[in-house]
Amino acid sequence: MKYVSAFFAIAFGLLVLAGYFVPVLEPLQALLISWAGILLAVASLIGVFNLITVHGEKIRSREKNSGYSSLLLVSLVLTFLLGLALGPSHPVMQGVVESIILPVEASLMAILSVTLLYAAIRLLRRRVDVMSVVFLLTVLAVLAWSLALPPYGELALFGNTLRPWLTQVLALGGARGILIGVALGALTTGLRILLAFDRPYGGK
Amino acid sequence: MPINLDLITGAFAFLFTVLIFSYLLGDNPLFRIGSYLFVGVTAGYVAAVAMWQVVYPRLIYPLVYGTQSDRLLAFFPLLLALFLFLKISPRTSHLGSPAMAYMVGVSAAVTVGGAVIGTILPQTWATINLFDMQTSQSWLDVIESAGNGIIVLIALVATLSYFHFGARPTADGAPRRFAPVEWLAWVGRIFIAVTLGTLFAGVLLASLTALIERVSSLYLFISSFF
Repeated sequence: MKYVSAFFAIAFGLLVLAGYFVPVLEPLQALLISWAGILLAVASLIGVFNLITVHGEKIRSREKNSGYSSLLLVSLVLTFLLGLALGPSHPVMQGVVESIILPVEASLMAILSVTLLYAAIRLLRRRVDVMSVVFLLTVLAVLAWSLALPPYGELALFGNTLRPWLTQVLALGGARGILIGVALGALTTGLRILLAFDRPYGGK
Repeated sequence: MPINLDLITGAFAFLFTVLIFSYLLGDNPLFRIGSYLFVGVTAGYVAAVAMWQVVYPRLIYPLVYGTQSDRLLAFFPLLLALFLFLKISPRTSHLGSPAMAYMVGVSAAVTVGGAVIGTILPQTWATINLFDMQTSQSWLDVIESAGNGIIVLIALVATLSYFHFGARPTADGAPRRFAPVEWLAWVGRIFIAVTLGTLFAGVLLASLTALIERVSSLYLFISSFF
């Protein structure tokens, strides 16, 4: 089975890769990517099923805090059945999104502000070196230069000159370096998979 | 009596915001109830979206109502999907590997193509274009553009040097990078700190905006009763 798996990964991967450079293969590339999209959706269903199994097992073995798992299972099954019956764009499902998913996401984001401030303060107490000092000075500069002082509004020197220079010249170079570094890492990892040096699909 | 959907939505949003905000007092049962319910509802919603927007229209519909060629085209993903389901049980898990391999192979190819066409080439061209002086209208513009271009180029090379981990053993056996790379990597650390600081400030500002929005929604919901 491991040879079949490696063949699938290499053959279909190379066909999709070839589609970027050989125009004749573009329709085939689109078809293969579309099939992968279907499989990703099926994989997400399997992931949800796995979530149900793990929490079902917790409830069955009466583990500590299994009450929370019951809440999770009930809410999951109810939402799934409701979504399956009505469709995700039905007003009731949109109500579920607007009353539970969006407020929780926004609240978690809001809590992040407190966590980030706390982390910044701890950084200064735990590790004082050039990198952390430059990091915190940059944070303070961007925050301070973004301030609009009533009744003057944004100060021209900070808002129009210094902040853009910091964010669009100094930070841009670093961001571009990080982006290209990440892309080179992704390129290497992808090529290792396509050449079967790495087989994260189960074939040893 | 008609059901006021806005009121129910507002009440649930209020309740869940309070449950999540209770984390500010530390990890507690209220926060856990909110987060477990959130995970359950989101997983159920994602599964329903996957069924309605991908599995049904692109797999089940062509197989049941499609033409002969539609059925033929949907047969291969159906086969792979069935093999993927074998991953659920540890005993049949190895049979699902080809389907997994298909996804990994296609994803790797898309990643390679995306990295080259979507990131490396555009970012390199954007850096080269910083030295394009055709739009500059005066000598001052030329000096400003060239100065900024040089700074971005140095930052880019220095940042990439920081991630270069090739080293040679010294006389005492300890690995050491080539001296110029070591210096460039030190400069790169400064630029990385500036970049991460800018990103951190951006995320902090976004999260502060979310905090203001949530507190405002709590206030509006309570004040709507008076």
